[in-house]
Order: sequence, then C-alpha cells, then structure tokens
Amino acid sequence: MGFTAITTVAITLFIVGIFSIIVFDVQSLLKSVEKQVELSVYLKDNISEDLKSYLENEIKSWPEVEKVQFISKDQALERFKAQNEGSDILKEIQGNPLPASFEIELKDPQKVEQVALRFVDKDGNNIEGVDEVIYGKNYVRKLFSITAVVGTITLLIIIVLVLAATVLIFNTIRLSIYARRREIEVMKLVGATNWYIRAPFLFEGFFEGFIGGGIAVAILYFINKFLFIKGESLLVETMRIKNLALLGSNNIIIIVYAGMIILGSLIGIFSSGFALRRYLRT
Amino acid sequence: MNMIEFRNVNKIYDNNSIALRDINLVIKKGEFVFLVGPSGSGKSTFIKLLIKETSTTSGTIFVAGRNISNLKSSRIPQLRRNIGCIFQDYKLLSDRTIFENVAFALEVIGKPNYIIKTQVSQILKLVGLYARMNAYPHQLSGGEQQRVCIARAFVNRPPILLADEPTGNLDPATSEGIMKLLSRINLIGTTVVMATHERSIVNAMRRRVVELEDGVIVRDQARGVYGS
Repeated sequence: MGFTAITTVAITLFIVGIFSIIVFDVQSLLKSVEKQVELSVYLKDNISEDLKSYLENEIKSWPEVEKVQFISKDQALERFKAQNEGSDILKEIQGNPLPASFEIELKDPQKVEQVALRFVDKDGNNIEGVDEVIYGKNYVRKLFSITAVVGTITLLIIIVLVLAATVLIFNTIRLSIYARRREIEVMKLVGATNWYIRAPFLFEGFFEGFIGGGIAVAILYFINKFLFIKGESLLVETMRIKNLALLGSNNIIIIVYAGMIILGSLIGIFSSGFALRRYLRT
Repeated sequence: MNMIEFRNVNKIYDNNSIALRDINLVIKKGEFVFLVGPSGSGKSTFIKLLIKETSTTSGTIFVAGRNISNLKSSRIPQLRRNIGCIFQDYKLLSDRTIFENVAFALEVIGKPNYIIKTQVSQILKLVGLYARMNAYPHQLSGGEQQRVCIARAFVNRPPILLADEPTGNLDPATSEGIMKLLSRINLIGTTVVMATHERSIVNAMRRRVVELEDGVIVRDQARGVYGS
C-alpha cells in the first residue's frame, strides 16, 4: 500500500518540520536579542529627589514599560568597579563621575524610540533632570528591520516548502492511482457508484499521509532528543540561550508535530480525491 | 417489449469524426443480435452509448423503456448493473481469484456475503468453472477467462448482455464454446447484442444481423449471414 507515497510524505514533511523549527528558533533568538535592548536614561547630578520620584512613577505608569530600575550614583560606581576589577583605570578615577540612571525594560522592544522621545521636549532638548537617553539608535533600527525581513522571508520559504511537499505527494499518489486504473475501470463497468470507488482511495490517501507525517515526527523527535542531550547544556552556558525548539524544550514543537501530521493527512486525502477525478468523469 | 431502442441517434466525436449517423433500431426482449462491420464502422460507439460511457450528439436511446439520453450521472451505475458487458480483453482483476472477480459485481451493489457465495457458486457452475474458483486469471486459458467474464457479467441476471468482440483473442474451438454459453444465456430470456467481425460465428448461428458501415446501418436482417 503505497510505500512510495508514505516515504515521500515522510521525507517532505520532515523537511518542512525541521525548517519550521529552525525558523521558530531564529525568530525567538531575534526576539530575545530585541528584548535585550534597554533604554538607559542618565540623570543630571543635581536632580531633586522629588523630580526623581516623579520621573520614576511616571515611567512606571507607562503601559509599554515592563520594568524600571533606578541605579544610584553609588550603585553605578560599584558596578563599574566590579566590571573593571584590577584595571588601572580605577586608579584614575577621582570622586564619582558616573551618573545615576533609570534602566528601562520594555514589553515590546520595538517601541523603544517612542518611549525615548518622551524624555525630549518640544524644542528637542532633554527634559529637566535628564542628561542623556541612550538605546543604541542605529543598531536598533537595523535590528528591527532585519527581524521583519527575516520574518517575511522565512514565512515565504515555509510556504514554498509546503507547496513543494504538496506537489511531490500529489504526484506520488497520482502515480499509484494511475497504476490502479484498470481496477477503477472494472468498478465503473460493473456499476459501482463513484463514492464506492472513491472511499477506499480517500482512506488510503489519509492513511498514507497520516503515517508519513507520523514517521517524520518520530524522526524529528529522536533528533531533538539527541540534540537535547548533547547540545543544551553547551548552548545554555555559552550563549545564555534557553528554550530552543530545536532542542525539543519548547511548546512550539508540539504545534509543529501536530501540524505535520495534520498537513500530511490533509494532503493525502485531497491528493487522492483530486487524482481520481479524471477517472470518475463520464 | 422493446429492450433497446435507438431513435435518430447521431454521434460525432470532438474532432468532427462521425461515428454514428441517423441510427434507428429496435431490439426486443430476448433477441440475439449480431452487430457486424469493419473496424471504425461504429460498433464500439454503439456499445459505449448503451452503457453511457459517452452521450449522443443528437437523438434518443431507450433501455427497457427508459430514456437514457438525459440520464443523470448519479444514475449511470444503476444502468450498468442492468447491462452485463464482456470485452475482447477480458478486463479481469489480476490480483483476485476468479471467485473474487465475479463476486465483485455483487459486492459493489451491496449484496450480503451469504448471497454472494451462493450466487457466485451457481454462476461458476453454469459456465463450468466451479472447480477452479480459487484460481487466478493468469492461471486460466483465454477461453476460461472469457467464461469468467461472462460469469461476472451475468451473475446479477441483467436483462441485457453486451459483448464487444468476445472471441477476438480465441481460437475457433474455444470460440464455439463461448457462443454456446451465450446462446444458453439468451435462451433464458436475456437480450444479447454482440459486436463482432468473425464471419464463421455469425454464419453458423443465423441470428439477426445488423450491419454497420461508416456509422450507418446498411442491413438489418433476421437470420442473417455475415456478408450480404
């Protein structure tokens, strides 16, 4: 029963599946990089306590803000000392030249410019108490346009892959139906209705798609397990990356698995139905 | 009763070739009719029209009093269940035993297994192949395979049996056996229409002969011979 069909389904869906997972991972990697874009608002040394509290509360109230943290001058100095331990530069510092700051984390990193503008008045000067607003302007613009482009490209590639899978599976099923054309002819001759002829083929198409998808999922699953065992600790340590679907530790992967099986079954049924049409016409 | 009636039937294929021209013909119940003529004379088209494998360009066809010219596609299976067909190339399923091949005709109309068993056994006895019911088509001779086809075509006791060059691939002796079988089936009351270009068979049986030439009926003779 269509060994070729099942194999074709398995291989094509495996490719779609593995690519989908890579795509999802690339997307989430990009998103986590985006998230690491923080907004730093450096404050003037002479800012009043009232103004500082006011600003802090204001920022907290903004809907785009995930978290805001106040770093005092002392804290900033401590950090600097810790980051540059043993370095000669510490000897050069007199007093505390470092400013206090608000470190703002946003829910949607893409809104960073919008929020940054709130620290600038109509004339283009920073508002009272604020010395500088830093968020890596150019870098951010480039990054966001990259993620958008990557998003579109990967979506297109997945669509093309799914189409390719459909065409390949359809052709395989069409060939197997062609091979059974005599049987179909005899069925029509002895007076079988179209549905009587169709039903077993439709079921077979569904079955082949289902099994093929299942095999692809099984292979993917074992690859994930293998990578998980070998690769996760490595990646987590060196790149602080967690939750990669490729390693099988993500919910996305369940959706991909289910999607592959459903896609296989649907392509199987529709291919059978469609390929039969020319034999059932009178 | 008129079993088959052609009224002013014309059939022109897409490439403008005229297959049948102004055919008027009545075949009564229980008749045995030979349809003769050279290749391309329209014999196959005649049969295709009867089983609705194609439609007339103009004119009407009646089968058992029913106008099949405007038959809905969904009703075609039912028409075919009432017309048994046998062909020169047998059209048997090679991966099934001859029992299964004949049973197939009953399966598609949903007959229960115990009825299938009885009816198929009966018909295989009639054609003399009961002992070989578990054999596969390729294990049988040409004549035996044609008997299986006859069994399949007749297992449902259809009122009409169509035969398109059934003895084409058979030697004279075997052909004679097939014709005897068809005669018996005709004696029971089945209307038989057989397209052929085998002179000897037609001449030996002296039945009604309808001769086609370039899509037109040029002769319709009771107890006729092959050539005029």
